[in-house]
Amino acid sequence: MEALNIILLLFMIVCAVAVAATRNLLAAVITFMAQGLAMSVVWILLQSPDLAITEAAVGAGVSSILMFAALKKIHAIREKGEAEDDEKAEE
Amino acid sequence: MMKKQKNDRFASFLDWLENGGNALDEEMQDALREEEPEAPGKQKREKKKKSSDKTADIAKKPRKAYADSWWYRLLAFAVAAALIWLLMEAVDRMPRFGAADTLMDSELTEFYVEHTKEETGAMNIVTGIILNYRGFDTLGETHVLFIAVCTVLLMLSIYGEQDEKKRLAQGALERYFEPHHDVILQSAARLLTPLILIFGLYIIANGHLSPGGGFSGGAVLGAGLILYQNAFEYRKIEKFFTYKTFKWVSVCSLLFYSLAKGYHFFTGANHLDSHISIGTPGNILSGGLLLPLNFVVGCVVACTMYALFTMFRKGEF
Amino acid sequence: MLEYLRQAVFAFLLLAGLFIQVTAVIGVNRFRFSVNRLHPAGMADTLGLLLMALAAVVYAGFSPVTLKILLIVALFWITSPVCSHLIARLVRETDEKHFEAEAKEWKP
Repeated sequence: MEALNIILLLFMIVCAVAVAATRNLLAAVITFMAQGLAMSVVWILLQSPDLAITEAAVGAGVSSILMFAALKKIHAIREKGEAEDDEKAEE
Repeated sequence: MMKKQKNDRFASFLDWLENGGNALDEEMQDALREEEPEAPGKQKREKKKKSSDKTADIAKKPRKAYADSWWYRLLAFAVAAALIWLLMEAVDRMPRFGAADTLMDSELTEFYVEHTKEETGAMNIVTGIILNYRGFDTLGETHVLFIAVCTVLLMLSIYGEQDEKKRLAQGALERYFEPHHDVILQSAARLLTPLILIFGLYIIANGHLSPGGGFSGGAVLGAGLILYQNAFEYRKIEKFFTYKTFKWVSVCSLLFYSLAKGYHFFTGANHLDSHISIGTPGNILSGGLLLPLNFVVGCVVACTMYALFTMFRKGEF
Repeated sequence: MLEYLRQAVFAFLLLAGLFIQVTAVIGVNRFRFSVNRLHPAGMADTLGLLLMALAAVVYAGFSPVTLKILLIVALFWITSPVCSHLIARLVRETDEKHFEAEAKEWKP
């Protein structure tokens, strides 16, 4: 059980760093989702199922859906033409 | 044209984020807006990278010199280091995790473990604490959710004041790639939505007996509603869930919570009998106010989740 | 004897499930296009999960919890193919360039 704890915590740290480091917003949200899922397993291992249910429903489910909707709203998830423009601008 | 305007709005918002409120005054914004037709389809943030762009230079210059100076970086580093040191110190002084004497140190923990069941009638101590002992905290949290929806409504209704036709066209454009009329998704949603809703209600109704409660159950309910809305058209969900429903359910729930909790605290603080029986702990109809309060919190959370999603998606309710 | 048999079945199911999950992870990392990646990912969510859930059932013995585990498997079997279908549909509708390249590359 100790090993599982350590693996989950390391995974969470890696995910948290990746969320801050990545420049792709969509990838950041998905990584955040994975971090929330690992967090809910950690809550179960810490014997607090209340928080685990809430974390799984809110952290990994609804909040990331809301973030996807927000990304769509501010056009951070690019449409077809825009992505090509972006690549040209970066060159 | 419509899309360009959206980009324009977005770019000015980004400018505001990057440069603060004062850096871009009205004239500059107008100047930027006038230049838009020359480079269609591109956002101004990209344009600002080119040094040849005059207005962007003016907007960027003072901030850039400020942010690149050595003392600014040193200050930022010092603030970050101080914050990290503070947090590390705080973590270091917390009771050691899993140590044998941690529980004994805290009288409050002991009190909760011993008295929650007989005083509140909740088998699940967490629910007993958050809805009975700390009822006002939960009231505040529920209101925070409601205020969040109100804020989003205010922010997004800037779009709503535009031309009615334009707004509708915008919504149609955004919903173009939505998987409506997808038979596979619709069959799955028809099968799954009732299950999800029943599971959410189960979590809420069993909040005082088993792990769960208003917040988690409400989030599950909201997720089920979002799934249903994604699979079917808005028209179908608007048969039973509109802005009016949201308004009435949220306001009535918050009002009931406030009144019930206020009555409970008033009688309790004055040593009066509140006439709310606790019942036998372990039954589904027990715990006094816990069950209705759980339901009320669940309703507010579900409405909030669905309302936020709908407003981001559609721009209105 | 029966105990050994039970443990052997448990070990076989668990190893088979793990093998499929590992294969899926390698596949997701190795394939280049999103539609190709759906194939190993969907496999992990359905077959791998079923084998590992059956391993858990055999290890813990039959009880009411068994029904819950099988319910989880059933829910995954409903949702995972739908997710794969939606992703594939989205790729087809939005990412025409990649889809064409993919079709060219995988033509026999």
